[in-house]
Amino acid sequence: MDSKLKYSVSLFKAMLKDNLGYIYRGRFTRDISDNILSLTENNLSNQEDSSKMKKRVYLILVEGLQNITRHQDDTDNDSPYTYGMFVIQKTDDKYYITTGNLIYKQNINHIKELIDKINSLEKEELKLYYKKVLEEGTLSEKGGAGLGLIDMAKKSGNKLSYAFKDIDDKYSYFYLHTIPSLKDENVDPQDDKSLNNIVEIHKVLNEQDILMIFNGHFNQESFMHLLASVEGQLHGSAKDKKRMYYIIVEMLQNIVKHGYSPDDTGLGNQGIFFISESKGEYRVATGNYIKNDDIEQFKNKLTYINSIPKNELDKKYGENIFDFEIDDNKKSGLGIIDLRLKSGQKLQFYFDKINDDFSFITLQVIMKI
Amino acid sequence: METLILEKTKDTPKVILDSHNNIFLFEYKSLPEDAMSFYKPILNWIELYSESPNKKTVFEFKLEYFNTSTTKQFAKLFLILEKLVPEYDVTIKWYYDKNDLDMKLAGERFNKLLKLNFEFVELN
Repeated sequence: MDSKLKYSVSLFKAMLKDNLGYIYRGRFTRDISDNILSLTENNLSNQEDSSKMKKRVYLILVEGLQNITRHQDDTDNDSPYTYGMFVIQKTDDKYYITTGNLIYKQNINHIKELIDKINSLEKEELKLYYKKVLEEGTLSEKGGAGLGLIDMAKKSGNKLSYAFKDIDDKYSYFYLHTIPSLKDENVDPQDDKSLNNIVEIHKVLNEQDILMIFNGHFNQESFMHLLASVEGQLHGSAKDKKRMYYIIVEMLQNIVKHGYSPDDTGLGNQGIFFISESKGEYRVATGNYIKNDDIEQFKNKLTYINSIPKNELDKKYGENIFDFEIDDNKKSGLGIIDLRLKSGQKLQFYFDKINDDFSFITLQVIMKI
Repeated sequence: METLILEKTKDTPKVILDSHNNIFLFEYKSLPEDAMSFYKPILNWIELYSESPNKKTVFEFKLEYFNTSTTKQFAKLFLILEKLVPEYDVTIKWYYDKNDLDMKLAGERFNKLLKLNFEFVELN
């Protein structure tokens, strides 16, 4: 198997066990934050949680996203490894929310002291402290920084955990992580391994130049939110971006239309999507369930389309446009050919058998830029 | 004939089909999950219009994006209009952003496959 495809397959496998996972790494704008919120909300409302928990998660997201946006311009460094990061994960019964952003090294001690102080306070004390800081307004030069952290702790109902990672002489990367709780558990978050996992994942994202990963339910609504987030995220020339957009449209809608949902929640098809942008190429991979009975046909189709020489692809596309034998609300006979035409590459795919009923397919498209 | 106007949504285009004022327009994006259902009333309208069309008809396509299932519905639309030629004057005005060669190509492909007059307009 191609090494890049192999990577995608194993990444998907690792993420599939979670109910929800969404990672965004890049510049944050108001629009992007709004899309992240809507997308998460769309997926939250799909899961059977108490509305109190949902609200709590939502408020922390708002706060976390504001923190990233507020601080991303603190530094004059703009290379990809300094990108802000936002992560939300959900396992069976827990949410994990993490934000990451670049900071000046000289601020580390101040942030540490502040979080340690916040973590040492009980619920009522925290409220008083918030009020005090609000009134004095002298906690940090940025004003918002201290309040944001206290607010997050209040909303989380749990401690905040943090990690710092050296970038260079001047900068460090700051991770802020919390596991919202309704029970005021006060678990010492530094004992929890989940933040370490995120730091590790972040390392991989940097190495692989991954801009976004989404693992959740795909429906038309989440598709549109993902699309909007990606649109603001791509770099490169306007021409390449447009083309990539078309590829992403077809790949995501492919999950919406043809995917399958073993969890049977009726909320959309379960799937995973990631996009990376490295020097010279964009890479998009999607993963979704497919019924074992449908594999043969799809595999044949992919193999056939990959076998068509480039100069004949357009002709084949033209034929299928007017072939109304293939025309229902799911199939047009054009999507896969379009992916090959637009990417200029063969499509990579891999089927992984899950059980007697269904398998998981990873489909990857690489576009040279 | 009654005018058909659809306002744009986040994934479907603004559509104007107005035979009195001779305006036929598709604008914005077309990425519906079920393109067939979305275009069904539109195709019905055009079918009906083709029974007594205006002497000169210009269909304008000012789209930023459309998905492949929309392509298929456009093909049906063009086939209806194609039947009016050469008796009636039918033009397809195909707009594309100067950075969007794929949009241009999509129009050129239709142009090549159909006996319809396409006019290409580059937008900055």
